[in-house]
Amino acid sequence: MDYILMLLPSMFSGLTVTLKLFFLTLIAALPLGMLMGIARLSRIKPLKWFMEFYVWLFRGTPLLLQLLFMYFGLMTIGLRLEREIAAYLAFVLNYAAYLAEIFRSGIQSIPQGQYEAADVLGLNRIQTMKNIILPQVIKRVLPPIGNEVINLVKDTALIYILAISELSRVARTHVMRDGTFVPFIVAAIFYLIMTGAVQQFFKWLESKFDYYR
Amino acid sequence: MKRKLALILLLCFSLALVLGGCGTGEKDADKTPDKGQTQADTSWEDIKEKGYFVVGLDDAFPPMGFRDENNEIVGFDIDLAKEAAKKLGVDVKFQPIAWDAKVEELDSGNIDVIWNGLSVTEERKTQMLFTKPYIKNRQVIVVNADSTIATKADLVGKKIGIQAGSSAQDAVMADTATYELIKDNLLEFDDNVSAMRDLQGGGIDAVVVDIIVGKYYVSQHPGQYKFLEEDFGAEDFAVGLRLTDKAFQAELDKALDEMKADGTATRVSEKWFGEDIINK
Repeated sequence: MDYILMLLPSMFSGLTVTLKLFFLTLIAALPLGMLMGIARLSRIKPLKWFMEFYVWLFRGTPLLLQLLFMYFGLMTIGLRLEREIAAYLAFVLNYAAYLAEIFRSGIQSIPQGQYEAADVLGLNRIQTMKNIILPQVIKRVLPPIGNEVINLVKDTALIYILAISELSRVARTHVMRDGTFVPFIVAAIFYLIMTGAVQQFFKWLESKFDYYR
Repeated sequence: MKRKLALILLLCFSLALVLGGCGTGEKDADKTPDKGQTQADTSWEDIKEKGYFVVGLDDAFPPMGFRDENNEIVGFDIDLAKEAAKKLGVDVKFQPIAWDAKVEELDSGNIDVIWNGLSVTEERKTQMLFTKPYIKNRQVIVVNADSTIATKADLVGKKIGIQAGSSAQDAVMADTATYELIKDNLLEFDDNVSAMRDLQGGGIDAVVVDIIVGKYYVSQHPGQYKFLEEDFGAEDFAVGLRLTDKAFQAELDKALDEMKADGTATRVSEKWFGEDIINK
């Protein structure tokens, strides 16, 4: 017990790093993913193709490789990013790709009749998207987004590869020093608390958006 | 169809333009430091001007460099680096790095030296400069205290754990006669702690590790393990620098010599190992 208490301060400092990556990724990737989802359905063909290519690229390669590329890959061609910046960039670009697909499927699930009705009411394309389609989309995409957000909590552990001391890496340094696996168990509990909080939050959010059904 | 094709071509062209544009920009950026280095070695002046040098390390490598209870980076190499900085009259900063990418971190200028139980190997000599060695290290074989394994020959047919990418691995491979006999039974672990754990649990029969790291873990579990008499050879620990930084290497060597002569190094060694293991 004393040992666990001794671990806590450094585990909390690792947790701060993890949470910072988590929130910054969400704040940037959610709107970016929504815009990209809309762009994938755009009438402008090159934009549509580019988005398809983008999703293929970032969903089709391991996030771990993207992290390595952002930091070491760019470093070898003379562009050196701070390791935290490289991590944020890789996470935002990767998660935006996944979220874009969720938003695209959400938009496509809205029946054609909604567009026709909006047309009859004299709304233009932007008004239709903003006032009629997107509010319905948000209700539908909440469960899959909740899924991604829980994934994000766990994926933050990947930045250990850039030697950033996030929660799981801090646990690992303790394991190396003390030769016991207890720090890993403590880290697992930290992750469970975080994913538990995300799960409860989305449960509440889904019930809040559960109108007009 | 034609319009589509034209658009694709346009897209390719613009992409090429963007990428090409980036390319030239980087070349220019690359050139400047290169030029500076071939003309004159300003590495020591640069450090003096900065007022500090950056030590790159794996902060999960006790007892050379690791985090204490307060999350501070401590260790034998850390204390040595601090003493060396005092002699040089500059500050020292510590930067945790991904150990697999240490050469890239060094070359890109993120760090100035690697000072972290770094073994001198022929391969590494082509990638970095080394100071004079400060510790002699041995690659030893650890087995459970009740094990029947007593010699290298007994290892044949047994499962042997080793840290992937470690100098222990290089040493085992260099011993070609033994390596041929045991290579199919070698298991690579991410770190030595996992290997020692597996050994304790009976998943493997022996671990090859350098004596300094090995002693640290064995001392944490008294009575659990023992070392074999035979080993996989000796090697040196030294500080690694960029291939171009000859001037800084000379200054650092001077500082290390002073530390060996005036007893500073011995004091640090006794603090961490309880004995003087400095290579004089």
